[in-house]
Amino acid sequence: MRPFEGESPRRGRRLAAGALVAAAMTAATGCGGGARVADSVGSSVAPDSGVINAVGAENEYGDVISQIGGRYVDVSSILNNPNTDPHTFESSPRVAREVSSAQLIVQNGVGYDDFMTKIESASSNSARRVIIVQKLLGLPTDTPNPHLWYDPTTMPAVARAVSTALAALQPAHAAYFQAAAAKFVTSLNPWLDAIAAFKAKYAGTTAATTEPVADYLLTAMGIDNMTPFGFQADIMNGIDPSPEDISLENGFFTKHQVKVFCYNQQVVDALTTSIRQTAQKKGIPVVGVYETMPTPGYDYQSWMVAEVQAIQSAVADGTSTEHL
Amino acid sequence: MHFIVEPGFFSSQPVHVALTIGGVVAVVSAAVGIFTVIRGQSFAGHTLTDVSTAGGSAAFLLGMNPLLGFIGLSLVGSGTMDLIGVQRVRGRDLATGIVLGASIGLAALFLYLDTTTRATTGATQQILFGSIFTLDPGEVPIVVAFSVISLVALAVIYRPLLLATMSPDIAAARGVRLRPVGLAFMLALAVSVGLSSLAIGSILSTALLIGPAAAALRLTKRIGAALITAVAIGVAATWVGVLLAYDSYYWGSSHNGYPVSFFIVALTFLIYLASGLPARRAATSAPAKRH
Repeated sequence: MRPFEGESPRRGRRLAAGALVAAAMTAATGCGGGARVADSVGSSVAPDSGVINAVGAENEYGDVISQIGGRYVDVSSILNNPNTDPHTFESSPRVAREVSSAQLIVQNGVGYDDFMTKIESASSNSARRVIIVQKLLGLPTDTPNPHLWYDPTTMPAVARAVSTALAALQPAHAAYFQAAAAKFVTSLNPWLDAIAAFKAKYAGTTAATTEPVADYLLTAMGIDNMTPFGFQADIMNGIDPSPEDISLENGFFTKHQVKVFCYNQQVVDALTTSIRQTAQKKGIPVVGVYETMPTPGYDYQSWMVAEVQAIQSAVADGTSTEHL
Repeated sequence: MHFIVEPGFFSSQPVHVALTIGGVVAVVSAAVGIFTVIRGQSFAGHTLTDVSTAGGSAAFLLGMNPLLGFIGLSLVGSGTMDLIGVQRVRGRDLATGIVLGASIGLAALFLYLDTTTRATTGATQQILFGSIFTLDPGEVPIVVAFSVISLVALAVIYRPLLLATMSPDIAAARGVRLRPVGLAFMLALAVSVGLSSLAIGSILSTALLIGPAAAALRLTKRIGAALITAVAIGVAATWVGVLLAYDSYYWGSSHNGYPVSFFIVALTFLIYLASGLPARRAATSAPAKRH
């Protein structure tokens, strides 16, 4: 419906001619398409008008970019569907288009979003700035657990790197980006306080998981995750865990060895479903954890606070929060 | 004892479910497999496994029990093949080939939709290569029910099917209606393929269907004895495969174990190779009597 979208300014004359034809057709047919043509003429000069195109490979990174860039950035996120598993994401032409026009990209790394690197090298652009969170944190590529956004030390580093990159793209607004990054880092304090309060009271609490998605947070909270990492990695990678590990995992619930069960709502199969049912039957509270920020209704900070509160009420009162 | 059976094998619930479902499925596959081999319908059997791949992936997409998808679509597939002309030797390859191509295309679509629209991470692995240790104990009665249906159907058509298989002309002369008998067998085959897709994966289920039957038919030409031998081989390969997969957890320090479907298929293949040895020895000791 927007026939001239994406035309470069170089083709302005052809575009103008097209707009004339379209306007004539609009006049003839009496429908309201004329305004749209005018719109797309306007948007074709968008890159020069001061809005930075940015992409977050996962919507939690996209959220941080938009909190820091404010009205100076236009952010889109590639992985943002809470009902699918990002581990099995398949790229599409839409993603390729968004990446090729982006001036700033934030991606996770650790093999979690390798498709981004492929698309970036397919549409090379020396002016584009890419922040790979794994490299930012100085982690090796074979880091076993790729879910870096659950680690409390990750996002402050990302926020600072984003503010530096945005300042380089638009030096005039450097002070704005810097202030926004500082404000973002401060806004994480309620989450960090909640983690510290939990740890002070419940350190050593036992938990079981299906998948390592929230493991960094559990570690920060002083929770002892009983599930062997081999089992978690099998579920994450979509292969069958061994019968020994399945028996062990079910045993945590039937023998009441854990206080809380963190269940990845985005990596689900028949086995995880049957394990969740065992936990429910045995009265072990279930807390839903996510690969991408559950939307709408959350930003990164409120999502993380909600996770800690859900785990706290599971441990303190035995309450389940299966979906945030 | 620890060298053969690692601790916890007999008390493990995933093992109980695997032994029960694996054993029952092996019996049905071996019995149906004997007729599949002597009727020369191995290719049709393999095609039904591809059809059941499409069914299993569609079931995941709809949030249904995958077994119903496996069996449901293999039934449709076997009916379609019968309609196109799997009965006639000349039409057989064509009919199976067309159904095979179409169903793999559907499977590709459904698996794509599974992984892109739903949180079904292991779907592809589970459908293609099975996951007998992860089956829910509630699955056992459903598997047993379908197995009984398939075996009863086979028993009912046993005599006319045997005659129609050995000499279709005599069977026709004696008033055996070849088409309904052939169709009934195809339906039993479809159920059997659906069951083994659940146990060892849709791609590998041909192995459990054809392997034990082919090995048994190399050991004996008497149909009753071949049936019993095939069932014994199938059940043995499945149960030993389950045991090896359980033990493999302790083989390395990483405690990963190896996939049970691999062990079952590898054992079936080894038994098939070994089944050629008696015939070869007989051939070398009495060359004049060869065939």
